[in-house]
Amino acid sequence: MTYLDYAATAPMLPEVMEAMHEAERKFFANASALHTPGHLAMNEIEETRTLLAELIGAEPEEIIFTSGSSEANNTVIRTFEGHRIETSPLEHHSIFVAAEKYAGEKLPKLFSVMLANNETGDILDLKKVVDAAREIPAPKEDELFAAKSDFGKDLVTDRRGGYVHSDLTQALGKIPVNVKELGLDYATFSAHKIGGPVGVGALYVKKGVPFKPLIIGGNQEKKRRSGTYNTVGIIGFKAALKKMRDDKTWEKYERDVRKLRDALAKRILDEIPGSSLNTDIKRGKSLPNILNASFQAAEGESIQLYLDAEGVIVSTGSACAAGDIKPSHVLMAKTNDAEVAHSSIRFSFGLDNTEKDVAKVMNVLPGIIDRLQKISTIKMEAK
Amino acid sequence: MNEGQDWVYSDIVKDHFLHPRNYLMGDESKFKYDAMGIVGNPICGDQMKMYIVVEDGKIKDIRWKTYGCASAIASTSALSELAKGKTLDEAVAISAKDIDEFLGNLPKHKFHCSILGHDALREAVDNYKKKVGTENG
Repeated sequence: MTYLDYAATAPMLPEVMEAMHEAERKFFANASALHTPGHLAMNEIEETRTLLAELIGAEPEEIIFTSGSSEANNTVIRTFEGHRIETSPLEHHSIFVAAEKYAGEKLPKLFSVMLANNETGDILDLKKVVDAAREIPAPKEDELFAAKSDFGKDLVTDRRGGYVHSDLTQALGKIPVNVKELGLDYATFSAHKIGGPVGVGALYVKKGVPFKPLIIGGNQEKKRRSGTYNTVGIIGFKAALKKMRDDKTWEKYERDVRKLRDALAKRILDEIPGSSLNTDIKRGKSLPNILNASFQAAEGESIQLYLDAEGVIVSTGSACAAGDIKPSHVLMAKTNDAEVAHSSIRFSFGLDNTEKDVAKVMNVLPGIIDRLQKISTIKMEAK
Repeated sequence: MNEGQDWVYSDIVKDHFLHPRNYLMGDESKFKYDAMGIVGNPICGDQMKMYIVVEDGKIKDIRWKTYGCASAIASTSALSELAKGKTLDEAVAISAKDIDEFLGNLPKHKFHCSILGHDALREAVDNYKKKVGTENG
């Protein structure tokens, strides 16, 4: 099988499996408990927190573990419920749909813009967003600023008119990310995109900025996220983060994976009539591992499933793919062309891919596209 | 849906998708048909064309073209099999439900967007009748 759907989920790393198997035996206790097994489990969680903080340029107490990116994204949006929220259709639905539902008119305002897009891999200019947020003067008083700590001290010390969140789920491990250098107030991360387990994520919340927990009732995560700790999952996240740090994966992506991605892009354009790229593959313009392409007169789901039948696993932003009858909201926003959106395929590479995988794709893809184009009701435009 | 199978669609859909019957490859002028019908819109993600050859009031031969997802390709292929050899009246009576049953049922959300071919077939039959009417008139 040629697996090119890493942006959906990366297969779990062997190191992660091993660490989690061991953790199931050694760190089964409730990490909130005061007894020794509980305390040892908590040590593992804190080690993971410190490691993630180091890798993204944050302080450990600025990291909150969640069940994944969707929860982290929802938490930030709900913090700003009733407030102005600026986002775009390029965002993940856990931002876009939540913002549509919960945005209001109040200040301070939240900006939520992902650094690297899920479907195209395109890297966005966050600096402009951060600058725009900084220009908004802080409202004098707001309920968001009113929260006090148990000692009567203000929880919100960083009072501004605009705050910035970025979903860094796709970017982590693929390019260097530093939340302080990016100027972020909130950032979202997920374990399963870097070879960790599904069901574990993290939210960076800068010290002193507004925050409202999504899940309340327990005391976990300093009352910022209730629920028994997913110790085994968090230990899996730690193993994936260690591998990322030790291997400097972002360097490997830039050096090795980019070559594969660019080679595939070139061959698609050279060898497949009617093909076009939805990813800007120039250096610095996109993640090195994602390639989104469209094939005129051939529909995305059909391409995906013919490739599947040949053992090549990709994803599509086209119609109906995930039980949705509309084409990808991201590609529609980017191209404003329903036919291009319906005819798109995303290839996303990981560190296990080789030149053989590119060869395998190009062994079968031209024939699949040719046949779909020949039985298509859409006539190919002569070039 | 289709628990236990390794595919998102039924085996019959898979078979018609991977091995479609009666499709028309390339230039449509290569096939000498009596009438054609079209349905759908590429902007919505699905479009189908049906081409028929009529002899003695029956569909002697049939071809199709489709732009669409796997179930759209499979449903058009299935329709072409259902319609072949039928009288014109029998052919226009073929419904989306008939195609769905023939395929062993598509996922619900696919039913409305992927099974459109029978409307193209009805249009083809209409066009044929108009053409014959004109020729005889």
